[in-house]
Amino acid sequence: MKEKRKGPISRAAGLAEGVAATVRRMQREREPRVLVYDPAGYARLVQPEARGHARIMEIAEQMVAQVEGRES
Amino acid sequence: MADTLTPERAAERLCELSADVRAAVLLDAAGSLAAASDDARELGELARRLFEEVDRATRDWDTEPPEQLEVQVPGGAVFASRTPRWTLAAVAKRGALSSLMLYDLRALLRELEGGPPIRRSRSAEERAAGPATEEFAAEELPMPELGGDAPPDDGAPA
Repeated sequence: MKEKRKGPISRAAGLAEGVAATVRRMQREREPRVLVYDPAGYARLVQPEARGHARIMEIAEQMVAQVEGRES
Repeated sequence: MADTLTPERAAERLCELSADVRAAVLLDAAGSLAAASDDARELGELARRLFEEVDRATRDWDTEPPEQLEVQVPGGAVFASRTPRWTLAAVAKRGALSSLMLYDLRALLRELEGGPPIRRSRSAEERAAGPATEEFAAEELPMPELGGDAPPDDGAPA
């Protein structure tokens, strides 16, 4: 169970920890990665060293680059 | 009554549903382009190859073939979802929420397969019908006024 924080400094520290955790989570979610989902919705990561990972990333980068090229 | 979603409209519809989608394509079961948003036809071939590579990468896994995929790359993200008949792929902005993107893709494909159409909530439609003014918005979201007459507080000391 999470310990209840007492006092303004402790509460401010708790807030800062929460913000830092959110930033870390957002950064982690934006890291280059390949995730596949089965029909039940379970996600599985295609490991960077796995066969085909580099090719998948390359194709996705091409798709994004094409859209960027159209938008600019 | 909401109009039925046709394959030709699917890609455009996805762009309307999500502000994070920059372009989308729909492929048929043979991998041929069925529809594309704006001028994104060239994405069709890449989307087809993307699922081919994913199938190749995951063929030894002891799971069912992937139904959806998400690829995060430095400039954005690619999401795709498929059914036996259709594959819908989208290029999204960097910060797009995966869960929402995947939900929208799946919902649109379900609608294409004859499922119930996605509808805007009633409140959103009613709001759209009214005038787009600040006064109207204020009526929609009434804010409690501070310092007004407080409701009687039973049992509170006077």
